[in-house]
Amino acid sequence: MSLGARWNIRTRLTAWYVSVLAILLLIFAVIVFTFQYVTLTRQIVHDEMQDAVTVEGLLYFDNSDQLHLRQDYYSRPQSHLIVDRWMEVLDLNGVVLYRSDNLDDQSLGGPLTPGEGDSSSNERIVRLRDGSHILAISHIHGMNGRDLVIRLGYSLKPLRDRMWQFVWLLGIALLVTILLASITGQWIANKAMRPIGLMAARAEGITANNLHDRLAVTNPRDELGALAAVFNHLLERLEQSFLQLQHFTGDAAHELRTPLASLRTIGEVALSEPRSPEQYRDAISSILEETQRLYHTIDSLLLLARAETGTSEPNSDAIALAPLIDEVTNMLSVLAEEKSIQLLLQGEMQGSLAVYGERALLRIALINVLHNAIKFSPPGGIIRITLAKDNTEALITIADQGPGLREDELDSVFKRFYRGCENSSNPGNGLGLSIVKLIVERLGGSARFDSAVENGASAVLRLPYNRRN
Amino acid sequence: MDGRASILIIEDDRKLSAALVSGIEGAGYEVKAASSAEEGFFLVHRLQPNLILLDLTLPQRNGLDILQQLREEGLDVRVLILTSHNTIEDRVAGLKTGADDYMGKPFSFPELIARIEALLRRVLPSSPGRVTIGDLELDSAARSACRDGQKLDLTAREFDLLFYLSKNSGRTVSRDMLARDVWQETSRYTPIDNVIDVQMARLRKKVDDPFRVKLLQTIRGIGFCLQEP
Repeated sequence: MSLGARWNIRTRLTAWYVSVLAILLLIFAVIVFTFQYVTLTRQIVHDEMQDAVTVEGLLYFDNSDQLHLRQDYYSRPQSHLIVDRWMEVLDLNGVVLYRSDNLDDQSLGGPLTPGEGDSSSNERIVRLRDGSHILAISHIHGMNGRDLVIRLGYSLKPLRDRMWQFVWLLGIALLVTILLASITGQWIANKAMRPIGLMAARAEGITANNLHDRLAVTNPRDELGALAAVFNHLLERLEQSFLQLQHFTGDAAHELRTPLASLRTIGEVALSEPRSPEQYRDAISSILEETQRLYHTIDSLLLLARAETGTSEPNSDAIALAPLIDEVTNMLSVLAEEKSIQLLLQGEMQGSLAVYGERALLRIALINVLHNAIKFSPPGGIIRITLAKDNTEALITIADQGPGLREDELDSVFKRFYRGCENSSNPGNGLGLSIVKLIVERLGGSARFDSAVENGASAVLRLPYNRRN
Repeated sequence: MDGRASILIIEDDRKLSAALVSGIEGAGYEVKAASSAEEGFFLVHRLQPNLILLDLTLPQRNGLDILQQLREEGLDVRVLILTSHNTIEDRVAGLKTGADDYMGKPFSFPELIARIEALLRRVLPSSPGRVTIGDLELDSAARSACRDGQKLDLTAREFDLLFYLSKNSGRTVSRDMLARDVWQETSRYTPIDNVIDVQMARLRKKVDDPFRVKLLQTIRGIGFCLQEP
């Protein structure tokens, strides 16, 4: 763990790679070694059996019933040296009839075991006095009516020497391979990680001032390309919201300037020459009215900020739509009555259609839309408020009979500080509909004006009703 | 108490502080102002005020710290927080720390005075069953209003509005107060002001228009006032 934390990914990758390779190679070496050892041992046993059969033909009893091994078998004297065998011959009573000179009176396996050389060849390793190991076999042989047990063995030294050499060879090969693997592994890891380093360096250079910079995508189809693309996408969105924020701050400052300018002018004009108390009173009242406008703009801006960022834990209640629409309509009905506007509630007003979200925010959205409709409705007109639903969304439509919207206004009315051709008697702050849009979008829905409507404007709020967000 | 309740304002904005001092003195209280937490502490102990208007964003020290210390010392003083940090979380934090009331900046001055009065009133006001202003009579139990012996035909909202104005008779009532106390609106936005204005115009039509003496006055830029002229 501490190592993992201290090493960089490159080294860790290489270390992993090399360790896995080393373990695999080791397993491989053990298997090869075992296989080789077993094969060679079998080969020796096989040779010994053959040799035993050969020896059978070379044994003979002399006149004094002494057992001898014929030595004139070899065509050339040097060949004698090749056969490096240890041998003894016993009868079934365990009496040693023959023992090769190199055994030097030692037994090649002690007393006879029952059935030795008969049912099996009894391969065994015998340790001689001088410490050398002999791989011995036994073979039973009938001769002159007597059963003889021929014990025959070869030294294991040549085999062991060869196996040691083999181990050395394997070991060296293993080390060299691991060394090479580490070097190439590190190289490959370096190569693989370099784009990440470049990306990091590039990303580090990106600040609020050059948010338009992007990471280079070399191959959009590989993982690093995908990472860079994701990162670029993030930058894109960041830049968007940053620009939006910049514009918004600029717009907001501008919007706050206007009421400030009137405040200042009213004050300056009031103080420019002596006036009657009535005039002073009038000026101060104007100033207070203007501050009200300022308050409202600031409240709206705060509301926008709140809807935009959201609190850490959104107050997700189930909001029953019909009662909310009733409540909003009731609250604003006095404004409608004043203009003799009829508010008609239609659709699923009896149902229990509900969406999830912060009720207070959705209420503000509905109030803003309806207030807007009342504002633009001609006196004596009708405003239809319809609640409907499709498979996934609740639809709230608020249709008025006002002047309606031009095609190019359908989207821009939702922009911040946008003011259309509104009647000057009812100046808004140009934030109402952008608040609506933001709130509805936060609930996972959408707000727009229906372009298909011929007369008046028809605002459509769509809210998903099965979603808990 | 020498008859007049004393109020200490701890507020670092000197303009706001000066305006508050003059306004609250005008309402008949003894007022002192401190512009820093240290000065505030000193004056709290020397003057033993009945009520403190406390700004939360003070230089050097957070207003909530001061409040906490005052509460730890167990001083018997009402505290009304005045602050521009006006989210529900801020309110909850303020009230939990031991504030008696909380007002977000910008606030309306008539409302501030109303809250100060409410806080300094030791006993709960008995809600008057009947209120009379000039020839206007209101009966809260029957929810009926008469003027000059004539019954006024008011909607429920109009009665609530008139009753609220009459309870605060002689005092200016701001739109903020009406939005909160009559309409029970928690947040403020433009439409509610329109609604209040229209509602007030209709009420005036019923209460004042048929009569020679006008009781309902609009104080431009501030709000409304119901009183005998």
